[in-house]
Parts: sequence; structure tokens; C-alpha cells
Amino acid sequence: MKLTIRRPRLAFPYSAAPTPRHVAPLPEKRQTGIDYDTEWARSFPARVVRLAVLETVITPAMKVLASPERRGLDRLKDLADTDTERPAPVIFAANHHSHVDTPLLLSSMPEPWRHRMFVAAAADYFFTSRATSVASALALNAIPIERKRVSRRSADDAAELIGEGWSLLIYPEGGRSPDGWGQPFRGGAAYLALRCNVPVVPVHVEGTSRIMRKGAKRPSRSATRVTFGRPLWADEDEDSRRFAVRIERAVAALADETETDWYAARLRAHRDETPALSGPDAPSAWRRAWALGERGPKRPRPSSRRWPDLG
Amino acid sequence: MPRPGFVLDVDRSTPPLLFWHGEGFRLERLPAERTRVIYPPEPLDPLPHPDAAIRHALLHPLGDSKPLPELLFTGMKLTIAFDDISLPLPPMQRPDVRQRVIEAVLDLAAEAGVDDVHLIAALALHRRMTEAELRHAVGDRVYDAFAPTGHLYNMDAEDTDNMTFLGTTDQGEEVEIVKRAAESDLLVYVNINLVAMDGGWKSTATGLASYRSLRHHHNVRTLQHSRSLMDRHNSALHTSNWRMGKVLIDAGVKIFQIESTLNTDTFPPPFDFLMKREWEWTAKDRALFVGSSKSLARTPNRLARQIFHSIKAPHSMTSVQAGEVDAVHEETLRNVHRQQLVEVEGQTDVLTMGLPYIGPYNVNSIMNPILVMCLGLGYFFNLYRGKPLVREGGVLIMSHPTPWEFHPVHHPSYIDFFEQVLSETTDPVRIEAEFEKDFAEDEWYRHLYRTSYAYHGVHPFYMWYWGAHALQHLGRVIIVGGDPRSVRRLGFMAASTMTDAFEMASDVVGRTPTITHLHAPPLLLADVK
Amino acid sequence: MKALVFERKMAKFAAAAVAGRIAPGRGAQVGPLSLQDIDEPELPGPGWVRVRPRLAGICGSDLATIDGHSSRYFEPIVSFPFVPGHEVVGELDDGRRVALVPILTCVTRDLPLCRWCGAGQPNLCEHTAFGHLEPGLQTGFCESTGGGWSIAFVAHESQLVAVPDDLSDDDAVMIEPTACAINAIEMARPGDTAIIGAGTIGILTLAAARLNRGLTNIVVAAKHPAQVALARKLGADRVVSPGELAATIRSRTHSMVVGDRLTGGCDNVIDCIGSEASLAQALSVVAPRGNVLLVGMPGSSTHLDLTPLWHRQTSLRGAYAYTPAHFQTAINLVRALRLGRLVSATYPLSRYREAIEHAANAGARGAVKIAFDLRSEKGR
Repeated sequence: MKLTIRRPRLAFPYSAAPTPRHVAPLPEKRQTGIDYDTEWARSFPARVVRLAVLETVITPAMKVLASPERRGLDRLKDLADTDTERPAPVIFAANHHSHVDTPLLLSSMPEPWRHRMFVAAAADYFFTSRATSVASALALNAIPIERKRVSRRSADDAAELIGEGWSLLIYPEGGRSPDGWGQPFRGGAAYLALRCNVPVVPVHVEGTSRIMRKGAKRPSRSATRVTFGRPLWADEDEDSRRFAVRIERAVAALADETETDWYAARLRAHRDETPALSGPDAPSAWRRAWALGERGPKRPRPSSRRWPDLG
Repeated sequence: MPRPGFVLDVDRSTPPLLFWHGEGFRLERLPAERTRVIYPPEPLDPLPHPDAAIRHALLHPLGDSKPLPELLFTGMKLTIAFDDISLPLPPMQRPDVRQRVIEAVLDLAAEAGVDDVHLIAALALHRRMTEAELRHAVGDRVYDAFAPTGHLYNMDAEDTDNMTFLGTTDQGEEVEIVKRAAESDLLVYVNINLVAMDGGWKSTATGLASYRSLRHHHNVRTLQHSRSLMDRHNSALHTSNWRMGKVLIDAGVKIFQIESTLNTDTFPPPFDFLMKREWEWTAKDRALFVGSSKSLARTPNRLARQIFHSIKAPHSMTSVQAGEVDAVHEETLRNVHRQQLVEVEGQTDVLTMGLPYIGPYNVNSIMNPILVMCLGLGYFFNLYRGKPLVREGGVLIMSHPTPWEFHPVHHPSYIDFFEQVLSETTDPVRIEAEFEKDFAEDEWYRHLYRTSYAYHGVHPFYMWYWGAHALQHLGRVIIVGGDPRSVRRLGFMAASTMTDAFEMASDVVGRTPTITHLHAPPLLLADVK
Repeated sequence: MKALVFERKMAKFAAAAVAGRIAPGRGAQVGPLSLQDIDEPELPGPGWVRVRPRLAGICGSDLATIDGHSSRYFEPIVSFPFVPGHEVVGELDDGRRVALVPILTCVTRDLPLCRWCGAGQPNLCEHTAFGHLEPGLQTGFCESTGGGWSIAFVAHESQLVAVPDDLSDDDAVMIEPTACAINAIEMARPGDTAIIGAGTIGILTLAAARLNRGLTNIVVAAKHPAQVALARKLGADRVVSPGELAATIRSRTHSMVVGDRLTGGCDNVIDCIGSEASLAQALSVVAPRGNVLLVGMPGSSTHLDLTPLWHRQTSLRGAYAYTPAHFQTAINLVRALRLGRLVSATYPLSRYREAIEHAANAGARGAVKIAFDLRSEKGR
């Protein structure tokens, strides 16, 4: 930070007075990160703006960029068919490859949850500055959470929102995949489901890594598939760790289903042979990358030049 | 708590009543003091957890049957047959009951490690289902898992290599069904029981059968003695199917029958007022009715048809039972009756009914005049138990535009039947004797049935036989608002208004006949004492 | 002498062609046909006699001529001005009733017999434009002879067939078209048969079909209700509307369909209309190696795709007129079936416009044969 003191154009009291040099400044109250208060983002005007953004910007953009194929929505019909006024809140737990995931999933959500979603977003990424915080909260209805553990603060916030009837979109992996394979699921989604007694809908997103994988600078068009799974309820004596494993398996089964077909996936699931989301247990990066096969990064389109440009 | 059906006695304050009229409606005032209207019961409450109920049914079968998981084993041949596009009506919103049941069955099969699975649409002589229709019935997941490898398909009753003859009943009826179904270690039949006619042994003995087998009960004599078609224990059609069922058992075909019943939640909002009683229509309902009937009157036929056929019913499941055919079907019938039965006292001189745009054989298609006859005289007339709603020699008045229009792909043999057979005679006995064989064995119809989306050549005959009991029973049939040309070809009379129809009926039943109006759909089953 | 005369007036001919297109039979209003007072034709030589028509029918070929859509093919074998009328029952000076065999052959032209006249098939005569008569294929198209739509005309003795006393004039006027139908039916091969059209020729062809026992499964395509009833009465196995013909033949012959044509079909298709549409229909429902018979006079120009004809080796054959021998058979058939009842209306010459309009719309108006009644004309 440069320490040049700019002289304010307007004199005090029309601008703030500088702190005298020898006086210690008051500690700055953190307004970003995990402490960012997103409550305003659920106000009516913010919801209207979000609805407009989702339907007029995000959804058309996703249609062009990702041409998503939505599958398995019929599995949610019984959840949606409740006689209560509001839809019962649900936790959507999805695998995570790319920044495209969130807009893609939000634009793929079915009614009645579509406009009552909030997203668990990494406090250390989306809420670093005021501007990104406002944008995330407004456009995605994101709330800040920590990646590594569920802090009391973020868990309380999320549980409160679920209690108010908002449905949560969360990535239990805790971050985008570094190499195209999944990471182990953390317990956040399971914990919240147990705490709030709501079902978890496993969701599998396929193809977003080809659009914009971690580290990519700009997106390229590619087809995607979003598969919704059968809602899961925690069993009576299930703790959040075991429930999290079950959620991970469900997402893995959806991945298998997307890759092959439903019955083959069921056969493997019952034999406990569903391929793990985290890919082969190989230590070397190349073997993991090799095993990705067609799911791997998108190759640049061949140059239109007849001869390679040799510089 | 849904209210049961009831019988309304029409008096001077009764409002005009709703008559379905193909892709439209009529409001008709019926004579006071001698008319009664049968209203269907309201839709029953759905099962709260359908998937859990299905699983429960599979694990706790009825009758002499082991739970499904015990019938499944690695290396077995499993065949799942399911009802075709003719059920339910209108087609239900996704997910279809068949999809739920098939997924539950397959999940158990996967648990048992069953690899050799065939899924067969039990068409008998109906048209093949299109990919979209199959997807709708079994769901995308099942379709994508089995169709690409040819393990999910429409049956072909004319593929003699893949049909198998299993023997004859003690009455000499030949039994021939799909070979794969007969030769599997287990045949699971997934049924939807919309009306009391469906299900039981009719599922396998009719649904999977060929012409050789069907002609033994799909004929005039049997259907004239099926009183009614909807009353399994008084229907010669069903008795014959049950005899064939015995042949199937004796031949060693192992069947696990899964039947489900639906409530009568037939039309989605905002058109759910079509299921309400007229005096309970709200201002919004009335506005919608006026708006929709006025605009339908101005809509070209084709478009109106498209609009109506895009309706997906919000039906939901009221029961599901599985296991041994007889035990399951008795329970199913109990559930159908729980939803549809209405007690009615005695018969009347005239029966009136409004025929809707859809019947079992024109889903995504055109209701041609033969299907109008079949829906009115074959289905609605037979919605009784005990005695028909109309006395012998009475008059049936139905309302339908009955246009001279046929779906060229779905109903090619109907066109020829209408032009060549009905122009000669409308007597089912003569039709059966003189024309049936020619149509049933016609190579071209056979070709269209097998490779296109056409009903079998003999199917229009069955439509006509379906009405044989009514034709024998009734003194006159009048179609209100029907195209006179096609109505005359059917052998009926066309009336331009309901008043004219009553005038035309008067020389059969006199000036002051008693009248019953069947206020359907939603469907009901009249229990006539 | 009063006669309807058809003259060679190009402007009127064009007007008739337009009018005839607007409404059938309208050509009579504006065309080259008119009622005139002309001299009786001279007897061309020995063997010729004067005939006073009693009834003279209006034929489809007459209507085509009047409405201006007959083929230019006829130009060299007719001679203007002519008096139409070739379906004639008339009487001779001695009071005998005769039916006319209108074809003008080598015998009537006083020429040595051509190959066909010599072989007993004078309808194929090669000399219709030669000899001492003006050109004309038949009486009614020849300037020298006059025609039936008049008080009198001349005929060669060889053209006359005595009418038995038990036949009425109505019966007798049907002899000529019946002979025509009999000629066509004789050309049919054994097998399933379809008759397209149920006007006079169609109905008579159906009536004549009973003479050929090889013909089975006779299907008639009839447009108008009266025709349907009549065809049923005359023993057609099935009568259908033209739009239903293909489907009916398909199911009766158990044939398949490729594109819009049948793979099988009828062994004989007898086209009694002769329009482009009816010919195309005939070709689409005829069986391989089948036989399309063209009995109705075809229109002036026809565009047909002949590929099916080539590919399926079907034959397309005309059936023109008759020989005098057919007239004897026709008399028997007319008597047996009382075909005189097909004469629906008669008109005096003075109401010729009405008569022609009636004839042109006969089917729609529930009529079959319209004729001129000359028995009470003045000046006979």
C-alpha cells in the first residue's frame, strides 16, 4: 500500500478528517469475509433484482454457454407436491468443477425452489472485498461460509435461513476440483440436513470443467448435464459423517448414471462398485489426468491456418 | 375428505349441465322432475409416499407369491411388461406410475444382480408407442438404459418367430403370447388400473397376445355376453381371459403382477373446474368456461386437438399391490370401486352422456367416428354393474361432433372399415362373419402395424364389437351435434340440438321418458340396483 | 329444315372453350353451335337413304366438342359445318324404325375395303377422310351426311340396324352407347375389374360387364348419389366414391402401398371419363401387366407420368366405337336390362342450350342420358 496522503479536495467537515499521525487508529470493523451480513439480499427489492438477473441474464447466458440438459427432475416431484403454502426447503448438494457451476445450477433449478435458493460461498473467495460481497449476495444470494470447517456463525446463519424456508445450494467438496476429479465430501450439508431435518438432493454436474476449469481464464462453450438424484433423508441413527458419505455415494452414482446408464449404475451401486468421484487412487498426476479421458479439458480448436505458425 | 358420488334429481332450479363435446363443451338443460344426473365421487386422497408404497407392495406380496427380491437371482431372465399408451386417460403428468414401479422393480433386480432384463410394451394389436411416448411411460432413465441396446421395445404380435403357443383352454381357446415373456424366469407385469375392465389376467392374456389368441374373446358373441365389460365377474370377456390365465400357469409362466389404481384427478388447474359440480363453479371457473368454450369455437380443429392432447392429468396413485394375479386383482378392484362406484336406483328410458376428446385409442391422435361409437357404446355404456343405466329398448343420446376424420398413420384400417364395411352393414354379426378375416390377414395392415404406428387391421372390428352389447340393448342411438354424414354411416341418428334429440327419441320412448345423465369424465362406475 | 349446326368459327370456338371451363355445358351459349334452317343433305349415291330421327342422344364427345376441349386430332377427320348427333333412332321413309351405326367406313365411302373393314373391324377404318364423302369419322361429324340433331339426315344402308318392335324409342337410342360399352368389355381380360366413372358410358360398361364372365370383383367409382344407386342396382360388387377407389382396390386385392401407389391392383381398369385425373388414377390402381382401357374420350392434352406404365408393363388401350355385330348384342342387352330407363329427359331442338347444360351436368342432377326428341318437330 502506498503511503502517500492525498489532500482531500473538500475540507473538513465536507470530508473526513485524517487521523493525527501519532494517534493509533481505531481497529477497522471488518465488513467483508465471514462477517459480511447478507440479510439485505433477502429484502423484497433485492429478490426482484435477483429474479430479473436470473431470468434475463444468467439463464440465457447459460443456455448459450453450457446448453444444459436437465435430468431427473421427476425425482423431485413428490417433494414439490406438498400441500403447504411454501415449498419445503431442501439442501442441494452438488459436485464442484468450475465457477460456472453456481449460475448453471441456479438456472437449472426447478420450481418451486428456483427463486428461494441461497448459495453457500467460500468466504475467502467471494467475500474478500465489498464489491464482490455485494455482487455475490445480490446475484447469487450467497452467504459466506468457511471452507475447512463449519463455523458456528455460518452454520447458524444457514440453519436460520433454511428454517425460514430457503433452500441451500452447497458444494460439500469445499472448493473447485483442481484436476477434474472430485474431492472428498465434507460434512456441512449433512450436518445442516440433520440439524434442520430437511432432505438432501444430490446433484451431479457434468461438463462444466470443459467450460472453465479451475485456473482457466475465459470460458468456452460446451454441453453440460445436470442430474438431480432421489432426495435423501438421514436415517434415525445416522450421524453427519456417515450421512455425508451416503451423499457422496449418491452423487457418485449420479455421475455413473450420466456416464453409462441408470440400470448399469444401479447394478454397480448395489455391488458397491460405483466409481469414486475422486478418481483413481494413483499418486501420479498424469495417471489421474489420463483416466479422465473424454471428460478431460477441452482441446483448443485446431487453428484455421493451413500451416502451423512457426513464428 | 373427498365426497362420494351422488345422484342429483333435476328440478326447475338445476342449472344447465356440462356435456363434453369432443374438443369442446355444451351446456344443456335437462327436463325437470324426470331426469337424474350421476356425479362421480371426488378424487380420493393420493398415497402420501408413493415410492415407499410401491416398495412395500413388492416386499409384501398378496396371495401365493414370494416377495419380489426372493424371485430375483443373478443370471436369470427377467421380463417386465407394461401397459401401453391407452392408459391412463388423459396421460398422466410425469413421473408416470409405470416409471415409479419399473424403477422400483429394477432397483431390486440390480440389487440381485440381474443382467438379462427385457422391457416390453404390452401392445397386443394396438399401435406401437413412439420414443416420446415410451419415455413418458417408463421415464428417461429406464429408456436410456434399455432402449439403445434393444432391451426395451414394443411387442410385435405378428412376429411369429417371437410369439409362442402355450396350449388351449378347456373351451378350445388358443393361448399365444410373446415368447420372451413366456420363457423368462419371471414375468413382471406393470399395470395401471384406470377402470375395472383393466388388469388381472387380461393384462397378460390380452396385453401380450396375438390375433390367434385374441379372436377367442374379442368377438361378438363374447362381448354380447359381457354385462358389463367393467364387471369382471359378469363378463364373458374376463372369464375367457381367466381361462387363458390358467393355461399360462399350467405352461409354467411365472408371473408377478403389479397393479396400481389412480384417483380421478383428471384435469390440471385451472381446468379442474371441469370436475366440479356446476353449482360449485366459482366466478373464476365460470369466466374460464365461457372464455375457453368461446375461443374453442373459433379455434381450428387441428389446433384445438393439439391443445387438448397436451393436457396431462394430475392423477395420483391410490393403491398399489403386487403378487399373485387373482389376489392382486381382487384388491385392485376393491380400490377401483372405492374411487368410482356410485349407487344408482333402477334404469331409465334415456341415457345421455357427453363424450370427451379422448378415448383409449386416440391418445395423441384423432377421435374418428368409429372411436366415437366405441367410447360411447363400448366404454361409457358399460360403466355399470348389475343392470345397464338405460332399459332394454331405450335410447342413448351422446354428444360429440363426430367429424369424418381419421388419423392416416394411426388408423389406416379404420378408414377402410368405415368406407368399405360400414357402408355395407353395421350389424356386428355380419361384419364379423363377412369382413373380419380379410382385414386381420391383410399384409398391408400387418406391415403398418409392425413398422409404422398403426393399429392392427382387425382393431376397428374390435371397436365395433365393443359396442355389440349396447347395440343389442338399445332401441336407438342419437348423436347430438354430430356430422350427419358420419353419424348416418355409423347407423345412428344425428340431432343438431338436445331438444331435437329428445324429439327424435320420443317415438321410441314416448313424450315423457325418464332420463339419466352420466356426468363423466371423471370416470365412475354405476352400481345399478 | 331445322338443325343444330356446328360451324368452324375460331372466335366462337375460343369463347366456348372459356365458357366450358367456367361451367360445363356453357359452351352452347356462346360457341359455334346454333339452331339454323338449312337444306336437307343430298343423297350421296346409290345405297343411301333418308333417315328422320326420332330420338338423338347427347354424347360425352358431343359435349367436349361444344365446350371446346376436344382434341385437335379430330381436325382432319371431321368436316365443317356439321350437324352433330350420332346416337340416333330414326325412321325411314317406309316407316321402318332403325338404329344408326354412325361410323363412316370404306363401304359408305364407296372405296375398296381397307385392311380393317375387310377384317370386320370397321371402327378402325383407315379411310375416314377419303372417298366421295367429306371427311368425318362418324355421322354427326361429317358435312355430307348431316346428323341426328336435325329433322333429317342421310345414311348408307350398311349403317342401319332394324329396331325390333318390342323396343321403345328410349331403348333404341341407348343401343349405340351400349354397343360402345360392349366393345370395351370384350377387350377386357379376365380378372378383377374397376370402372372409373358412372355416367352413361360407365353405367353401360358395368351393364355390359355381365357379358364377360371372366370379370370379377367389379368396383365402380361413382361421384353422385343417383349414380351410386344405379351402379348398385346394375350389379357392381362395390360402389365407392372416386376418393375411396384406391383404398378399396388395395384392400380387395390385398396389395401393399409404396409412395402413393399400389403394388398390386386391378387386372382391368376401365376409364369411362377420360380426364387426366381419371387416367392417372387408373394407372395408379392397375395391377402389373394389367390393362387400362380408355373408353371415355380423352381431353385435348394429357400429361401423364408413364414410368409406372413402363415399369409395371401395363397396357393402356383405347376402346373406340363398335362393329355392326355389337349392335345385335346391344339390342339384347338393352332389352334384358330395359336400358331405355336411362333416358332421363328429352328436349326439343329449340331448347338445345338447356338440353346441353342438362347433359353436361347429368350426374349432379341425377340424370343419365339426355336426348333430343324430334318426333314432334315441325317440318318432319
